[in-house]
Order: sequence, then C-alpha cells, then structure tokens
Amino acid sequence: MMRFNIFIYASPPCARVTLYHSLIHSVAVENTSRLSKPLIWADQRISPMDSGESSEESPVQTKKGKSKTPRKPKASTLKQKSPAEFFAENKNIAGFDNPGKSLYTTVRELVENALDSAESIAELPLVEVTIEEINRSKFNSMIGLIDRERIDEALYGDFETVKAREKRLAKEARFQEIQAKNSALGKKVKEPTAGKAMKGRGEASFYRVTCKDNGRGMPHDDIPNMFGRVLSGTKYGLKQTRGKFGLGAKMALIWSKMSTGLPIEISSSMNGQSYTTFCRLDIDIHRNIPHIHLHEKRNDKDPWHGAEIQVVIEGNWTTYRSKILHYMRQMAVITPYAQFMFRFIADTPDKNVSIRFARRTDVMPAVPLETKYHPSAVDLLLIKRLIGETSKQHLLQFLQHEFVNIGKAHAERLIGEMGPDFSSKTPVNSLTSQQIVRMHQLFRQAKFDDPSGDCLSPAGEYNLRLGIIKELQPEMVATYTASAQVFEGHPFIVEAGVSLGGKDVKQGLNIFRFANRIPLLFEQGADVVTRTAMKRINWNSYKINQTQDKIGVFVSIVSTKIPFKGTGKEYIGDDISEIANAVKTSIKQCCVQLKSKIVKKIQAREQQERKRNLSKYISDATGAIYSVLKEASQLHANKKKRLEIKDEDAELLEKVSDRLITKEMLSEKLAQHVEQVDYEMAMEYATQSGVREEPRENIYLQALDPQKNFMDFQTPVFVFRLFQ
Amino acid sequence: MADKRKRRRADADSDDESARLPFKNRLKPDSAIISILETLTEATKSASTSKTLTLSDLNLASTCREVTDLTLSSVQTEIQALAISLAKSILAGNGFSFSVPSRAATNQLYVPELDRIVLKDKTSVRPYASVSTVRKTTITARILSLIHQLSLKNIHVTKRDLFYTDVKLFQDQTQSDAVLDDVSCILGCTRSSLNVVAAEKGVVVGRLIFSDNGDMIDCTKMGMGGKAIPPNIDRVGDMSSDALFILLVEKDAAYMRLAEDRFYNRFPCIIVTAKGQPDVATRLFLRKMKMELKLPVLALVDSDPYGLKILSVYGSGSKNMSYDSANLTTPDIKWLGVRPSDLDKYKIPEQCRLPMTEQDIKTGKDLLEEDFVKKNPGWVEELNIMVKSKQKAEIQALSTFGFQYLSEVYLPLKLQQQDWL
Repeated sequence: MMRFNIFIYASPPCARVTLYHSLIHSVAVENTSRLSKPLIWADQRISPMDSGESSEESPVQTKKGKSKTPRKPKASTLKQKSPAEFFAENKNIAGFDNPGKSLYTTVRELVENALDSAESIAELPLVEVTIEEINRSKFNSMIGLIDRERIDEALYGDFETVKAREKRLAKEARFQEIQAKNSALGKKVKEPTAGKAMKGRGEASFYRVTCKDNGRGMPHDDIPNMFGRVLSGTKYGLKQTRGKFGLGAKMALIWSKMSTGLPIEISSSMNGQSYTTFCRLDIDIHRNIPHIHLHEKRNDKDPWHGAEIQVVIEGNWTTYRSKILHYMRQMAVITPYAQFMFRFIADTPDKNVSIRFARRTDVMPAVPLETKYHPSAVDLLLIKRLIGETSKQHLLQFLQHEFVNIGKAHAERLIGEMGPDFSSKTPVNSLTSQQIVRMHQLFRQAKFDDPSGDCLSPAGEYNLRLGIIKELQPEMVATYTASAQVFEGHPFIVEAGVSLGGKDVKQGLNIFRFANRIPLLFEQGADVVTRTAMKRINWNSYKINQTQDKIGVFVSIVSTKIPFKGTGKEYIGDDISEIANAVKTSIKQCCVQLKSKIVKKIQAREQQERKRNLSKYISDATGAIYSVLKEASQLHANKKKRLEIKDEDAELLEKVSDRLITKEMLSEKLAQHVEQVDYEMAMEYATQSGVREEPRENIYLQALDPQKNFMDFQTPVFVFRLFQ
Repeated sequence: MADKRKRRRADADSDDESARLPFKNRLKPDSAIISILETLTEATKSASTSKTLTLSDLNLASTCREVTDLTLSSVQTEIQALAISLAKSILAGNGFSFSVPSRAATNQLYVPELDRIVLKDKTSVRPYASVSTVRKTTITARILSLIHQLSLKNIHVTKRDLFYTDVKLFQDQTQSDAVLDDVSCILGCTRSSLNVVAAEKGVVVGRLIFSDNGDMIDCTKMGMGGKAIPPNIDRVGDMSSDALFILLVEKDAAYMRLAEDRFYNRFPCIIVTAKGQPDVATRLFLRKMKMELKLPVLALVDSDPYGLKILSVYGSGSKNMSYDSANLTTPDIKWLGVRPSDLDKYKIPEQCRLPMTEQDIKTGKDLLEEDFVKKNPGWVEELNIMVKSKQKAEIQALSTFGFQYLSEVYLPLKLQQQDWL
C-alpha cells in the first residue's frame, strides 16, 4: 500500500483524469512483473517498440508500453490489485472519508453526472434528488428480500445486544424519572433527544439516494460496464469536466457495496427508444467487473429520456445536512438553467425537507470542447502516451497535430533545434527514450503562444448573475469575467460575482467557490478565493463594510486542469500567483461596479433624509443666534449712548427686546428656507437621475412547452397570446 | 551651589569617565564656552533691533489674511454684528451662511521674507441649508454665542469647558476645537482674544523672571519641574533674564535631565519644552521671550522628520494656525541637535539608532519639498543625510554614554563648537 502512495505524489503532473487511471494501471502491471524496482523507474525504461501493442486498448489507458498479459508472478505472495479494490481501500481520496461525507459525495456525483448528461444533448437539465432515510427494521427487511438473509441478528454490528438495550432502557427510565421530577417541580421540561436515545452504539443510518434526470440516458448494453467497472468512462480526455475523479456513480456503488451490500438500480431510456432499460447490479471489486442481477428491457408507458439511479448507502444526514443543502444551493447558483428538486424523506415526517430550485434562465453555456495538449503542459509519460495514440507517422505531423499552438513552421524550427538525430520525417514510434526526453526538455524551454480559452466553458456572467439573484436575492450584485489566462500550459478563466444583502446571508464575507462549475465546500480556509477576499481586497475603499454588510463573493474558475491542492481536491492553493491575481482583479472589478451603485444609493438615502437632517439643527442654530441677539439687545437698551451700530441694526435689536422678533420666528423662517432648498434639490436630483421611484428589475417568464395551444391577438405594438 | 557640586563630582570621576565618555576631553573650560555664547547673544541683540517685517510691508496685506489681537468689547461687537446680519438673512427667507476662511493646505503660503506660513484669502461658504455643512454651521453659530457670553462676563475657559457646554451637539472635542479656529478666522482675531485657552502643556525653567497675573515668578526657583507656561499669555509680563540663550527642547525626558542637572546654572539659559507638538501658549511664550529678551534660540529635537517638523512649527508656524502666524512664530531658531550628522560625529552606536519606517521616509521626503526647509541649505543637507541613511535617533540615544552625557558633554561641546544651523 505504501508504494501506491509514493507513486501518487511522486508522479509528475499530468492530465487529472488520467492520473489515477495510469497509476492504477501501472500498479497492476508492475506488481506482476518488476516487484523489486521502484515503480517510477520502471516507467521510464519503457522501450518505444512496446508501445504499439497497447494502442489497441481503450484510449483511456495510458501507453506504458507494457504488454497487459499477466505474467507468472515471481513471488508467490504477490497479489494483483484491481482499480476497484484500490479505491475501495482509499475511498477518502474520492471523498468517501466517513458515512456523512459519503452521503454528500454520492449526492454530488449523481447530480454532476445528471447535469453532464443533460447538457451533452443540450437539454435544460431537470434533476430530482431524493434521499430517503431507512430505519433499521426497514433495512433489515430489505436485506431479507434478497438471498443473504440475516438469521443470527446478534452477529451483526448494528444489532442491539441485550445488555445494550438494558442499559439504554435503564437510561431512558432514569431520564423519564428526572423529567417527571422536573415537571413536578415546575421546571422546564427538556425535549428528549430522540435520535440519540433511540440508537444504540455503533448503529449506522442508511439512506436510499435516488437521482433522476432528463439527460441522454445510456445505451442498454453499456450500462453494466458504465457502472460496474471502475475507470472506464466517457469523460477521459483533455477538456473541462465537472467530475473531479472520473469515478461518478461507481464510487457510490463501491461504497454501497461496502456499507450495505445492496446493489445499484438503474433505469434509463434514450431518445427514440420505446423501452426503458432496468438494470440491477453490483460490482465485483476484486475483478473490477460488473455483477449483474437483472438487466432487462421494460415497456415505456410515457416516452422519456434520461436516467434514474438508485443506491442504498450508509450515511449521516444529521451531520451533513447543511453541507448537502449548501451544495444544492450553490449548484443552483452556478447552474441557473437547471431545475433541481431536492427531497429528504425522514422516518418522522416532521424532519422532511423539500426544496425546489427553480430554473431561472434557458441559456446554457456551450459544451466544453476537447482540446489538444499545450507543449508546456506535457510530461514524459504524456508524450509517450500521445506517441502511442497518434495516427501520424512522422515527427513533424505529430508535433503539428497533437499539440496546440505549434504550426508547421514552428514545428520545423523545433525539430531543427532538437538536434541532428531528429528530422521532420523521423517516424514518431521510433523515437528512443532519450530522444523523448530531449523533446520534453525543449518543450519546457521553448517559447509557445499561450493556449486560448476557447475550449473552456465558463458559466458566463449572465448565468452567474442570474444564479446569484435567484438564490440569494441580494440588494445589488456585480459580475465580471476575466479573460483567459494560462497556468502551466492549461488555460483558465476566472469569473467573479459580488453581492450585497440578500436572504439567508450572514453578515460579513460569504464565500462561494466553484471549480469547473461545481461548488467547493470543504477546506475553505486555505483556498485562494478565501485568502484573496479576506486579505487582499480593501473592502472599505468600495464603501463596503467587511464585518457589517452581507457580502457574497462568488468565484468560479474553469480550466482544463484545475490545480487542486490536497488529496480531496477540495481547494485551490494560494501559491499560484497567476490564479491569485486573476481572482483579485475579478473581485476588484466587481467591487468597482458596485461602488458606483452604492454611492448612488447613499445619495438616494441622503435625498430622503436631507430634510430631516436639515431640520434637526434648526432649533440649535436659531437658539444660538437668538441668544446673541437677546444679549445684544439688552446691552443696547442699557446703554443707549452706544452708537457703534447702524440704525437698521439698532432697529432690529429693539424689535428683539420688544419681542417682535422671537426665536420661534427665526426657526419658522429657517424651516421655510430649508423646505424650499429641499424642494429645489429634489428637483435637481430628479432631473439628474430620472424621475423613477425605484430601480426596475427585469422579470423572468419561463418558456412554455411549444405544444401548448394558443391564440394570438395582434396589435401593431404587441402580441397578446392566450393559452388554452 | 548646585552647579559647583555638579562640577566637583564630574572632576572626581573624570579619570574613568573621560575614557567612557567620548569627546569629553575636547571640552574647554566652561568660562571659555560662556564667552562664546556671550558673543552670540550680543550678535543676536544687535541684529534684532531692526523692525520685523509685516504683510503690509510686502504688499501682501490684500491677498493674505492675518488676525490681530482684539479687545473683548470689539470681539463682542463683531459677534453682535454677525448675529444681526445672520438674523436679517433668516428673516429675509434666505437661511444663513458663514463665510469661513479656508485653512486647507492649498490656501497656505510660505513667505520667505517673513520666514513663516501665512493664510491666503480664499474663503469657503458654509451654508446652513446643505446636508454636508448643516452640522458645522450650527456648531459655528453655537460657538459664536458661547464666545459672546464669555466676552460679556470677561472670563476665560478652556477648550474642554467649551466642549462640555453642549456635548450633544459637538459630539467630540476635535469638532468644537476646529470650529473655534474657524471662529477666530471669521472674526479676524487671535484665539487668545476669544478668551478660550488650552490646558497647560509647556513648561519653562531657568534664568527667567516674569509676572504671572501680577505674581512674580523666578524660574530658577520653581523646583525641578519648572513653571507651567500660563495658557493665557495676557497674564505674562515684566520679563527679565540674565540668560545667554534659550534652549528649546522637544521632549519632556531631555528637559527633565537638563532641569535636574541644573544645566541653566552652568551655562546661563532658559529651558523650554512643549512636550512634543507645541501648543499655542508655548509658542506665544517663546515668541514673547525672544521679542522682549532678544536672546538666541537653540533647539534640541530628535533626529527624525518629526523633530524637524516641530522645529518648523516654532519657527514658521503650523498650517492649522497660519492665520495667526505673526503672533505665534519665533524667528531665527537655530537647530542645535540632535542632527543626523551628529549620529556619526558623536559615534552613536548602531543599536541606539532606529531604522526609519516607510512613513518616516515619506515624511522626510515631503519635508524636503517644504519651503521653510529649503530656505536653509544646512537643514536640507541634514535631512538628505537622514533620508539617505534611513536612520533616526531620539535625544535619548545619547544616554548610551551615560544618562548625563547630554548635559555633561554633548550640549557643552555643541555650544563650544558653535555647531548650530
């Protein structure tokens, strides 16, 4: 086991989707053949002659140049490990650390598969997720339905022993006693903590997770392999993909097999099929092949397309409830064109949860394109794999067609630079290991144009904005999409949104992170987005109060390879300056947009409060002036001889002493003046900003099915459409 | 006599001290130093007989604003006239507004002939009926009425008293203080004429005798702490002194050292400090001493940008109070120490020097742009050394050679070498 781990971390960066695959593959092979050598060396001794053999295998497999026929083990203790076994033993790298997280990861894998499936046929996704809590008796009866029946219940870990029950009952009795005493004394009765009291130690909770979509569906014959074979899939290749591991529902199946032993149930129908495929299967972990219980075609009542996947797993809803709900909400933010229906059905109906995330737009981002590697992004292993896979004979063609940003002239110059051993006509599969290393060196050193971001599919400012408005209902929101940039040969695009206010938003910074359009929920502290928003943005300068205002920060990064940190692929490190800068600029751009809005809002507020503010000080101001007048008038009256002041001023002072001019009079006059000024300024403001009372907002009308009958009433100005 | 005792002790320890105290052996006997100082005092006295220039001499009276001391009754009349005009404006339905001379940096002018900052004639209107100025206008009216009351009753109050008459309106003292300066400008009188004083801050000790509200004060007999400078300069009169110079000290600590060592008895002098940024009273007092006694003024400040800034406030005035710079500034202050060049000259050890912060360096560079620094090439040179070496040191850095190094060696040596700028 140790060796696997060493290999994982020591392996040079390569395409994310192939990493695990190649690793598993090589593990399997090397274990049978070269046990005494460290794996990493074994890989480099591949001779190019072998590579041809493996090319007929599925394209997802790396070309290690090793023949796959199992050789006779040199040591009797040597065991071969299947990829499924590897993941079963290292389920934490796929996000199945504990029951709670497994429930969460199962939901997200199913949801992401559903979205991918619908998007692949350009259908607006409609995803229904149901988590049904299964209590022990129900679970037991479910197990009773299949052939492995429990006879001696006491054998099982989740069986409550007599001793434990006695203990629990005693405890409950004691609890009730205390309660009775308390209620007799008139004390407030504590709610019995039902969940805890009901469960014995070590008892697991089980959940049936169902996910239904309106996607492409799966071909009848492929279904067993799509679910029952780890590391076989349709999503391998260099492009922006949602999945983090390319494991999808398979890992959920392994988990269900490990925790409940119950099989997965799949119903699927494709467009134009008259039947629904129903399949019940589990996985043979040792051989990494599906174990089919039932695989049949059923007649459709209603034509549909899509898939419904049902799996029963151990989980923990109580601790991961908020994570799962956050995930759904954030998914709804980044995918506003999808409709999600989330349901949780508990044992007791009062704990049921049912949330509908409505569709807000019908504009979908384009499907990400598969692209070729950028020369600066490849490593030795990858070059060898590409050599094995290519249909091109000669080096020139190979360079020209298997990489982006190498034109013919550029390829010729590169070949010239590689040395005398190379020529345009050199057959690629005759290249020696040394020559490949030379090629790799040149790729590292030579100058290439940056890859373009055309192959990426960002959520788009429009969708991000709608998603934020839809789910948070903020007072204001700003979005920004940065232009594509490059990190280690992989293009990436950063999009950001900043919102202020809204419902269910706490004060301070609320960070929403997305990588390749899926939400990241864990390990927030070290993430580049969190760090940037917390430390490198001077919110004050945008008139935003970092601690008082409800700030939502949304950053979505898409790339052909997201540089995740850590095994869980839950955060993007803060040490990549390209990404950190792009994130900072994007958030700043949003803030700049917001600032003008905030300033306008402050002005509007001033507008409303101006009269009140101006009136507030009237009595203070006139009181001060009047007191001087009063004192002056007294002086004036006492010493008539003082003639320093003008006649009209003296007159005014006399009026004061005769109480013809009073403080009230001054106040009244000043109030009138304030009134007038306020009116003038309101007029001025109105002419400047337009007379509208409130900012208008567009409303969204959802498109209806085209089949609906309707009648048009035409006028020259508009069409009035009456639906029947 | 204290000074005798002092000297005796210094002699007794001289064997090991001269080794420990650098440059002590270069000191001439005190009598020689005193004779040097006497020539300086004579020169100052003869030089200052010429009449001081005023704005009108330079034909700047129309474009610059300056305030004068006004009698109580004229302050009273001014306020009454202002109140009457405000009332008229209100009654005419026009609200009211003040025309306040701007004290912004752009409205300041350094006049090299006068060697001080003066206020230009730009004014800003402060109308009541505007959201941004309504508060300030109200406070201004309130302060005016309070000053009017003071003038009627002929009493003095502190700024703090003034603030507490209407805490709810003023909110914090900085607001009422700022408006008080505005009121001085509006009325065209000095702040002392408003009968509002600040709390006592500055202290003086040494060869000075003056009357405070009729009581004769001998500053050699005021104990170690010295005499607090009266906040109200009107009370001060009948100055007489046998001192040879005035020593202006930035810091309380250095002042204490000199006072305790009775430095003024060894070299007849008057020692003054405002404990940091000088207040109005200390500046007025220093000016009064300089004008009446015609003594040279030597300054002992920290070797950092703020030391020089404090020096400049004494010399050329602060921007905030530039409207009254004629009364507040003391011409011809010499920078005795601690100067950036002294750090190497007196071999101040590295561990006593501090690196300048970004802010310090910026302040230093800004100072180099100021006219009152530029006029003195010696100061520019010193400041350049400071900014270049990026090191600063406080007066206390001299204590590395013993607490009394300042009074025993540094100052006498500086005076002997006439090392001032």
